Amino acid sequence: MSLTLQPIRVATGFDEEGMLVLDEEQRLLAVLTHLSNQYDGLAGHWYLEAKFGVLEGLGQPTYPDLDAAKEAIAQHLARRR
Amino acid sequence: MSAPFHPDYNPLILKLESIFDLTDEERQALEKLPMQVQVIKADQDIVREGDRPSRSCLLLSGFTCVYKITAGGKRQIVSFNIPGDIPDLQSLHLKVLDNSVATISQCRVGFITHDDLRDLCNRYPRITSAFWRETLIDAAIFREWVTNVGRREGVSRMAHVLCELLVRLKAVGLVEDHACDLPITQSEFADALGFTTVHVNRVLQQMRAEGLIELKGERLTIPDWERLKQVGEFDPTYLHLENDQAAA
Repeated sequence: MSLTLQPIRVATGFDEEGMLVLDEEQRLLAVLTHLSNQYDGLAGHWYLEAKFGVLEGLGQPTYPDLDAAKEAIAQHLARRR
Repeated sequence: MSAPFHPDYNPLILKLESIFDLTDEERQALEKLPMQVQVIKADQDIVREGDRPSRSCLLLSGFTCVYKITAGGKRQIVSFNIPGDIPDLQSLHLKVLDNSVATISQCRVGFITHDDLRDLCNRYPRITSAFWRETLIDAAIFREWVTNVGRREGVSRMAHVLCELLVRLKAVGLVEDHACDLPITQSEFADALGFTTVHVNRVLQQMRAEGLIELKGERLTIPDWERLKQVGEFDPTYLHLENDQAAA
Protein backbone atom coordinates (compact mmCIF):
# COMPACT_ATOMS: atom_id res chain seq x y z
CA MET A 1 0.00 0.00 0.00
CA SER A 2 1.51 3.28 -1.11
CA LEU A 3 0.25 6.24 0.88
CA THR A 4 0.59 9.84 -0.15
CA LEU A 5 0.76 12.94 2.02
CA GLN A 6 -0.59 16.42 1.31
CA PRO A 7 0.30 19.38 3.53
CA ILE A 8 -2.64 21.13 5.15
CA ARG A 9 -3.21 23.58 7.98
CA VAL A 10 -5.34 22.15 10.76
CA ALA A 11 -7.82 24.33 12.68
CA THR A 12 -7.15 22.87 16.12
CA GLY A 13 -7.45 26.31 17.69
CA PHE A 14 -3.66 26.56 17.78
CA ASP A 15 -3.04 27.08 14.04
CA GLU A 16 -1.04 23.88 13.59
CA GLU A 17 0.41 22.39 10.44
CA GLY A 18 -0.61 18.96 9.30
CA MET A 19 -0.84 16.35 6.57
CA LEU A 20 -3.70 14.65 4.82
CA VAL A 21 -2.99 10.92 4.39
CA LEU A 22 -4.45 9.43 1.17
CA ASP A 23 -4.49 5.89 -0.17
CA GLU A 24 -3.63 4.80 -3.75
CA GLU A 25 -7.09 5.75 -4.92
CA GLN A 26 -6.95 9.20 -3.35
CA ARG A 27 -9.30 8.26 -0.51
CA LEU A 28 -8.74 10.31 2.63
CA LEU A 29 -7.59 8.00 5.42
CA ALA A 30 -6.44 10.34 8.16
CA VAL A 31 -5.26 13.79 9.19
CA LEU A 32 -1.93 14.10 11.01
CA THR A 33 -1.02 17.20 13.05
CA HIS A 34 2.57 18.29 13.64
CA LEU A 35 2.77 19.00 17.38
CA SER A 36 4.28 22.31 18.43
CA ASN A 37 6.31 23.19 21.53
CA GLN A 38 3.25 23.44 23.79
CA TYR A 39 3.20 19.64 24.24
CA ASP A 40 5.74 18.47 26.80
CA GLY A 41 7.79 15.63 25.42
CA LEU A 42 5.77 15.36 22.23
CA ALA A 43 6.92 18.48 20.37
CA GLY A 44 7.78 17.62 16.77
CA HIS A 45 5.76 14.41 16.81
CA TRP A 46 2.86 13.71 14.48
CA TYR A 47 -0.52 13.15 16.09
CA LEU A 48 -3.30 11.12 14.47
CA GLU A 49 -5.78 13.96 14.71
CA ALA A 50 -8.60 12.31 12.80
CA LYS A 51 -9.13 9.03 10.98
CA PHE A 52 -11.83 7.38 8.95
CA GLY A 53 -13.59 4.01 9.16
CA VAL A 54 -10.92 1.73 7.72
CA LEU A 55 -8.49 2.86 10.44
CA GLU A 56 -10.84 1.89 13.28
CA GLY A 57 -8.87 0.17 16.01
CA LEU A 58 -5.72 2.21 15.44
CA GLY A 59 -6.42 4.49 18.41
CA GLN A 60 -5.07 8.04 18.31
CA PRO A 61 -1.31 7.63 18.69
CA THR A 62 1.50 10.09 18.11
CA TYR A 63 4.43 9.14 15.88
CA PRO A 64 8.02 10.43 16.09
CA ASP A 65 8.10 11.18 12.34
CA LEU A 66 6.04 10.89 9.15
CA ASP A 67 7.68 7.62 8.05
CA ALA A 68 6.63 5.97 11.31
CA ALA A 69 3.08 7.29 10.85
CA LYS A 70 2.84 6.02 7.27
CA GLU A 71 4.22 2.63 8.25
CA ALA A 72 1.77 2.19 11.14
CA ILE A 73 -1.18 3.17 8.94
CA ALA A 74 -0.05 0.87 6.08
CA GLN A 75 0.41 -2.05 8.50
CA HIS A 76 -3.04 -1.49 9.95
CA LEU A 77 -4.56 -1.55 6.46
CA ALA A 78 -2.59 -4.70 5.54
CA ARG A 79 -3.88 -6.49 8.65
CA ARG A 80 -7.43 -5.58 7.65
CA ARG A 81 -7.25 -7.50 4.40
CA MET B 1 -0.26 -2.74 63.16
CA SER B 2 -3.95 -2.38 63.76
CA ALA B 3 -5.00 0.70 65.69
CA PRO B 4 -7.97 2.99 66.06
CA PHE B 5 -7.79 6.13 64.01
CA HIS B 6 -7.74 9.27 66.19
CA PRO B 7 -6.71 12.18 64.04
CA ASP B 8 -7.82 15.77 64.25
CA TYR B 9 -8.83 15.38 60.67
CA ASN B 10 -11.01 12.33 59.98
CA PRO B 11 -12.11 12.41 56.35
CA LEU B 12 -14.50 9.44 56.74
CA ILE B 13 -16.55 11.32 59.32
CA LEU B 14 -16.50 14.52 57.25
CA LYS B 15 -17.55 12.57 54.18
CA LEU B 16 -20.41 10.75 55.91
CA GLU B 17 -21.56 13.95 57.59
CA SER B 18 -21.73 15.61 54.18
CA ILE B 19 -24.38 13.10 53.12
CA PHE B 20 -25.88 12.01 56.47
CA ASP B 21 -26.45 13.28 60.06
CA LEU B 22 -24.34 11.26 62.54
CA THR B 23 -25.04 11.12 66.29
CA ASP B 24 -22.18 11.59 68.77
CA GLU B 25 -22.21 7.86 69.50
CA GLU B 26 -22.00 6.97 65.83
CA ARG B 27 -19.16 9.44 65.35
CA GLN B 28 -17.26 7.85 68.25
CA ALA B 29 -17.81 4.36 66.83
CA LEU B 30 -16.32 5.53 63.53
CA GLU B 31 -13.37 7.14 65.31
CA LYS B 32 -12.65 3.84 67.09
CA LEU B 33 -12.92 1.74 63.95
CA PRO B 34 -9.72 -0.35 63.82
CA MET B 35 -7.68 0.12 60.70
CA GLN B 36 -4.23 -0.71 59.44
CA VAL B 37 -2.76 2.50 58.10
CA GLN B 38 -0.29 2.24 55.24
CA VAL B 39 1.47 4.80 53.06
CA ILE B 40 1.41 3.79 49.40
CA LYS B 41 3.43 5.60 46.77
CA ALA B 42 1.94 7.01 43.57
CA ASP B 43 0.83 4.84 40.65
CA GLN B 44 0.44 1.59 42.61
CA ASP B 45 -2.50 -0.79 42.53
CA ILE B 46 -4.23 -1.12 45.90
CA VAL B 47 -6.61 -3.85 44.74
CA ARG B 48 -7.01 -5.47 41.33
CA GLU B 49 -9.90 -6.74 39.26
CA GLY B 50 -10.52 -10.39 40.17
CA ASP B 51 -9.31 -9.99 43.78
CA ARG B 52 -11.42 -11.37 46.62
CA PRO B 53 -10.55 -8.92 49.40
CA SER B 54 -11.27 -9.50 53.08
CA ARG B 55 -10.90 -5.78 53.84
CA SER B 56 -11.79 -2.42 52.32
CA CYS B 57 -9.60 0.66 52.03
CA LEU B 58 -10.44 4.09 53.40
CA LEU B 59 -8.51 6.85 51.69
CA LEU B 60 -7.06 9.13 54.40
CA SER B 61 -4.94 11.37 52.21
CA GLY B 62 -4.03 11.59 48.52
CA PHE B 63 -5.97 10.67 45.40
CA THR B 64 -6.80 7.26 43.95
CA CYS B 65 -8.79 6.14 40.92
CA VAL B 66 -11.07 3.26 40.05
CA TYR B 67 -10.25 1.81 36.64
CA LYS B 68 -10.77 -0.99 34.18
CA ILE B 69 -8.51 -2.14 31.31
CA THR B 70 -9.52 -3.29 27.82
CA ALA B 71 -8.10 -6.44 26.21
CA GLY B 72 -5.78 -4.16 24.22
CA GLY B 73 -4.37 -2.64 27.42
CA LYS B 74 -6.18 0.70 27.32
CA ARG B 75 -7.16 2.04 30.70
CA GLN B 76 -10.48 3.71 31.46
CA ILE B 77 -10.61 5.54 34.79
CA VAL B 78 -14.25 5.44 35.91
CA SER B 79 -13.93 7.68 38.95
CA PHE B 80 -11.46 9.65 41.02
CA ASN B 81 -11.37 9.07 44.79
CA ILE B 82 -10.52 11.66 47.40
CA PRO B 83 -9.94 11.48 51.18
CA GLY B 84 -12.93 10.01 52.99
CA ASP B 85 -13.84 7.69 50.11
CA ILE B 86 -13.86 3.90 50.48
CA PRO B 87 -13.37 3.05 46.80
CA ASP B 88 -13.84 -0.70 47.29
CA LEU B 89 -16.63 -0.61 49.87
CA GLN B 90 -18.72 -2.78 47.55
CA SER B 91 -16.34 -5.70 48.23
CA LEU B 92 -18.05 -6.04 51.62
CA HIS B 93 -21.00 -7.58 49.76
CA LEU B 94 -19.68 -8.41 46.26
CA LYS B 95 -17.05 -11.10 46.67
CA VAL B 96 -15.06 -10.61 43.46
CA LEU B 97 -13.81 -7.16 42.49
CA ASP B 98 -14.85 -6.14 38.97
CA ASN B 99 -12.49 -3.16 38.87
CA SER B 100 -9.07 -2.13 40.11
CA VAL B 101 -8.13 0.75 42.41
CA ALA B 102 -4.78 2.54 42.05
CA THR B 103 -3.08 5.47 43.74
CA ILE B 104 -2.65 8.65 41.70
CA SER B 105 -0.49 10.46 44.24
CA GLN B 106 1.19 9.12 47.37
CA CYS B 107 -1.65 8.06 49.65
CA ARG B 108 -2.32 7.18 53.26
CA VAL B 109 -4.79 4.33 53.22
CA GLY B 110 -6.58 2.76 56.19
CA PHE B 111 -7.43 -0.90 55.64
CA ILE B 112 -10.54 -1.97 57.57
CA THR B 113 -11.38 -5.67 57.75
CA HIS B 114 -14.78 -6.72 56.49
CA ASP B 115 -15.35 -8.38 59.90
CA ASP B 116 -14.91 -5.00 61.62
CA LEU B 117 -17.11 -3.26 59.05
CA ARG B 118 -19.84 -5.91 59.50
CA ASP B 119 -19.61 -5.55 63.27
CA LEU B 120 -19.90 -1.76 63.00
CA CYS B 121 -22.91 -2.09 60.68
CA ASN B 122 -24.61 -4.63 62.98
CA ARG B 123 -24.21 -2.37 65.98
CA TYR B 124 -25.12 0.88 64.20
CA PRO B 125 -27.86 0.36 61.60
CA ARG B 126 -27.83 4.05 60.75
CA ILE B 127 -24.16 3.76 59.75
CA THR B 128 -25.21 0.86 57.51
CA SER B 129 -27.68 3.26 55.92
CA ALA B 130 -24.95 5.89 55.54
CA PHE B 131 -22.66 3.38 53.77
CA TRP B 132 -25.56 2.26 51.60
CA ARG B 133 -26.26 5.87 50.72
CA GLU B 134 -22.58 6.34 49.91
CA THR B 135 -22.55 3.44 47.44
CA LEU B 136 -25.77 4.75 45.86
CA ILE B 137 -24.09 8.12 45.38
CA ASP B 138 -21.07 6.32 43.85
CA ALA B 139 -23.51 4.83 41.33
CA ALA B 140 -24.95 8.30 40.66
CA ILE B 141 -21.41 9.55 39.98
CA PHE B 142 -20.84 6.69 37.51
CA ARG B 143 -24.10 7.59 35.70
CA GLU B 144 -22.99 11.20 35.51
CA TRP B 145 -19.59 10.16 34.13
CA VAL B 146 -21.14 7.98 31.40
CA THR B 147 -23.24 10.97 30.35
CA ASN B 148 -20.29 13.32 30.55
CA VAL B 149 -17.80 11.15 28.65
CA GLY B 150 -20.39 10.01 26.13
CA ARG B 151 -22.08 13.28 25.34
CA ARG B 152 -20.12 16.37 26.37
CA GLU B 153 -17.16 17.59 24.37
CA GLY B 154 -13.74 19.08 25.09
CA VAL B 155 -13.82 21.98 27.50
CA SER B 156 -17.30 21.18 28.77
CA ARG B 157 -16.34 17.58 29.64
CA MET B 158 -13.22 18.69 31.49
CA ALA B 159 -15.06 21.53 33.25
CA HIS B 160 -17.70 19.10 34.52
CA VAL B 161 -15.14 16.80 36.13
CA LEU B 162 -13.25 19.73 37.69
CA CYS B 163 -16.53 21.06 39.16
CA GLU B 164 -17.30 17.65 40.63
CA LEU B 165 -13.84 17.32 42.17
CA LEU B 166 -14.05 20.78 43.70
CA VAL B 167 -17.46 20.15 45.29
CA ARG B 168 -16.44 16.75 46.65
CA LEU B 169 -13.12 18.09 48.00
CA LYS B 170 -14.96 20.97 49.64
CA ALA B 171 -17.22 18.51 51.47
CA VAL B 172 -14.15 17.02 53.20
CA GLY B 173 -12.53 20.38 53.94
CA LEU B 174 -9.88 20.33 51.20
CA VAL B 175 -10.88 23.50 49.32
CA GLU B 176 -9.88 27.03 50.24
CA ASP B 177 -11.52 29.86 48.35
CA HIS B 178 -12.18 27.80 45.20
CA ALA B 179 -8.62 26.43 45.16
CA CYS B 180 -7.41 22.90 45.85
CA ASP B 181 -4.48 20.55 45.35
CA LEU B 182 -5.04 18.43 42.29
CA PRO B 183 -2.27 15.86 41.66
CA ILE B 184 -3.96 14.39 38.56
CA THR B 185 -1.66 14.28 35.49
CA GLN B 186 -2.72 15.02 31.90
CA SER B 187 -2.35 11.33 31.11
CA GLU B 188 -4.71 10.40 33.98
CA PHE B 189 -7.24 13.00 32.84
CA ALA B 190 -6.97 11.46 29.36
CA ASP B 191 -7.77 8.01 30.75
CA ALA B 192 -10.70 9.40 32.74
CA LEU B 193 -12.22 11.57 30.02
CA GLY B 194 -11.64 9.37 26.97
CA PHE B 195 -9.31 12.00 25.48
CA THR B 196 -5.74 11.66 24.24
CA THR B 197 -3.07 13.49 26.23
CA VAL B 198 -2.73 15.87 23.26
CA HIS B 199 -6.42 16.71 23.54
CA VAL B 200 -6.17 17.18 27.33
CA ASN B 201 -3.25 19.54 26.79
CA ARG B 202 -5.24 21.63 24.29
CA VAL B 203 -8.35 21.70 26.46
CA LEU B 204 -6.41 22.87 29.53
CA GLN B 205 -4.58 25.52 27.47
CA GLN B 206 -7.89 26.79 26.15
CA MET B 207 -9.42 26.86 29.64
CA ARG B 208 -6.44 28.82 30.96
CA ALA B 209 -6.62 31.27 28.06
CA GLU B 210 -10.34 31.82 28.71
CA GLY B 211 -9.74 32.38 32.42
CA LEU B 212 -11.74 29.31 33.49
CA ILE B 213 -8.90 27.78 35.48
CA GLU B 214 -5.50 28.67 36.88
CA LEU B 215 -3.01 25.81 37.28
CA LYS B 216 0.26 26.27 39.15
CA GLY B 217 1.98 22.94 39.60
CA GLU B 218 -0.59 20.81 41.39
CA ARG B 219 -2.63 23.77 42.63
CA LEU B 220 -5.93 24.41 40.84
CA THR B 221 -7.76 27.71 41.28
CA ILE B 222 -11.20 28.45 39.85
CA PRO B 223 -11.40 32.22 39.32
CA ASP B 224 -15.08 32.22 38.32
CA TRP B 225 -17.00 29.29 39.80
CA GLU B 226 -20.35 30.22 38.27
CA ARG B 227 -18.85 30.37 34.78
CA LEU B 228 -17.06 27.01 35.16
CA LYS B 229 -20.33 25.42 36.33
CA GLN B 230 -22.11 26.89 33.33
CA VAL B 231 -19.47 25.67 30.85
CA GLY B 232 -19.49 22.19 32.42
CA GLU B 233 -23.31 22.09 32.63
CA PHE B 234 -22.68 21.13 36.23
CA ASP B 235 -25.62 20.55 38.58
CA PRO B 236 -24.44 19.03 41.90
CA THR B 237 -27.79 17.31 42.61
CA TYR B 238 -26.32 13.89 41.74
CA LEU B 239 -23.81 14.22 44.62
CA HIS B 240 -26.75 14.36 47.07
CA LEU B 241 -24.92 16.49 49.62
CA GLU B 242 -26.91 17.27 52.76
CA ASN B 243 -25.40 20.69 53.12
CA ASP B 244 -26.29 22.99 50.22
CA GLN B 245 -23.37 25.24 51.19
CA ALA B 246 -21.02 22.52 50.00
CA ALA B 247 -22.20 22.90 46.43
CA ALA B 248 -21.91 26.68 46.36
